[in-house]
Amino acid sequence: MNSANVVTIALSKGRILEESLPLLSALGLEPAGDIDRLLRVPSKAADVQFLIIRPTDVPTYVEYGAADMGIVGKDILMEHGGAALYEPLDLNIARCRLSVAAPKGYVPTPGKRLRVATKYPEITKRHYAARGEQVEIIKLYGSMELAPLVGLSDVIVDLVATGKTLLANGLVEIEQIGPVTSRLVVNKASMKMKHARIRELLVQFEATVRG
Amino acid sequence: MTKLWMLPDGMEEALPQQAWRAEGLRRALLDHYRAAGYELILPPFLEHLDSLLTGAGADLDSLTFKLTDPASGRLLGLRSDMTPQAARIAARHFADTPVVRLCYLGTVLRTRPDALGGPRSPRQVGCELFGMPAGGGAAGADLEVLSLMLDTLRLAGVADVHLDLGHVGVYRAVVDRLALSAEDETTLFDILQRKSRPELSAFATALGIDAEAAVALQALTGLHGDVSVLQSAAATLSGYGDSVVLALRTLEQVIAAIARQHPGLPIHLDLAELRGARYHTGLTFAAFAPGHGRELARGGRYDGVGGEFGMARPATGFSADVNELLRLGAA
Repeated sequence: MNSANVVTIALSKGRILEESLPLLSALGLEPAGDIDRLLRVPSKAADVQFLIIRPTDVPTYVEYGAADMGIVGKDILMEHGGAALYEPLDLNIARCRLSVAAPKGYVPTPGKRLRVATKYPEITKRHYAARGEQVEIIKLYGSMELAPLVGLSDVIVDLVATGKTLLANGLVEIEQIGPVTSRLVVNKASMKMKHARIRELLVQFEATVRG
Repeated sequence: MTKLWMLPDGMEEALPQQAWRAEGLRRALLDHYRAAGYELILPPFLEHLDSLLTGAGADLDSLTFKLTDPASGRLLGLRSDMTPQAARIAARHFADTPVVRLCYLGTVLRTRPDALGGPRSPRQVGCELFGMPAGGGAAGADLEVLSLMLDTLRLAGVADVHLDLGHVGVYRAVVDRLALSAEDETTLFDILQRKSRPELSAFATALGIDAEAAVALQALTGLHGDVSVLQSAAATLSGYGDSVVLALRTLEQVIAAIARQHPGLPIHLDLAELRGARYHTGLTFAAFAPGHGRELARGGRYDGVGGEFGMARPATGFSADVNELLRLGAA
């Protein structure tokens, strides 16, 4: 487990990490090591270290207390569900949206159960349940855009940043489920036991985000 | 492939060395509770589902394993928490006794773990004190139960315990004034459990909550930290009347008494901490220890319990999982 004198922050590898770096430097917390290769990296502050992990793993590390804090997309938190983490701050980075997309010119067949391909089965289930619609969910791990093209599904639920990938594959956004940005999450036990340092970091993050 | 020797997810067993440790701790704990005036009860493993799910058990529906009784055709539940059982026993069998002190220790079963990777068969230990309202001479009953929780951790050899204190009266005062529908209050409860300030602003805007109340809600998410939180709460929530003043005074008294009895014990306050339980009515508390990402023991006041069984009265109690105490403690 992580030590009592160090605050461990789990960072989501990829676009979120890239957009987190300017925020972290503004706080004097630049990673002091090769973030492309190392999984655990010290920071310029002696009492803060980073874990560089897959976005979907961030809530797990933070919930177990292997990391005290984390930076992760709201999409992952919505899919993870539950109330096991504090999520006090919207960092306003890696902005995109969760959307439903379908092949251009798609018309739903009345009376036929909709087939939805997604890597977000929980969000998808909740979204359609809120509209009173029972759908068939096909869980995929990547390249969602392919599914409707080969007849595996009717529509997809996925993250849309620019819409270029959809366009290139002949899909259009037909519905927006909601905006997604990255959030700062905190382990509940860490918030209580390392309160002074974590509170200080939260205030600094908030000031930096507000500009 | 499932092998015959595999256990279902989250089911725990103890092999000899571990089992003796568990037994040693069980004896030490029960002896201690007995010396403190607590009577031991052994509630049944299986009860009628409706009696398990009333009052303090109202949140346990989805956690409870169920089956049908072939003899009566009624739905039965395997206990997932012994607190409602203790409440039933106190109401039914001790109706004539003004103050009842009960303790229990036994396995409970849950359809899903409390936390990621946690057990579905915790060995629950706890004490419940019925019939003593809050206040009553330097926060008497609350302090008694809280001290027993700390004793429990000491007997289990858990080092470097951190105490977290809260009071549901503060949340209630702020929320009651909003007069929310049950569904909206559930949403708010969930948002506050996650201290999600962005969602809280969206919620206040969507429901057209007035500016003053929205500020109080946001303030609630920030009212955690050392004892100075009490002063900031008194200033921020001064317009919320006597119940807030009373809650803050209770906390102040408890903190003063704990600091006297347990000098050096780190105390953290969180006035928006709801601990997932909707039935709490007053002081709530939990214990944490380094190296463990979630609470080790928890408790609080739940006045009005037992009404469904014919006898409503004030109550406060705590519980913990013996297996978890053994994992973290040296006992």
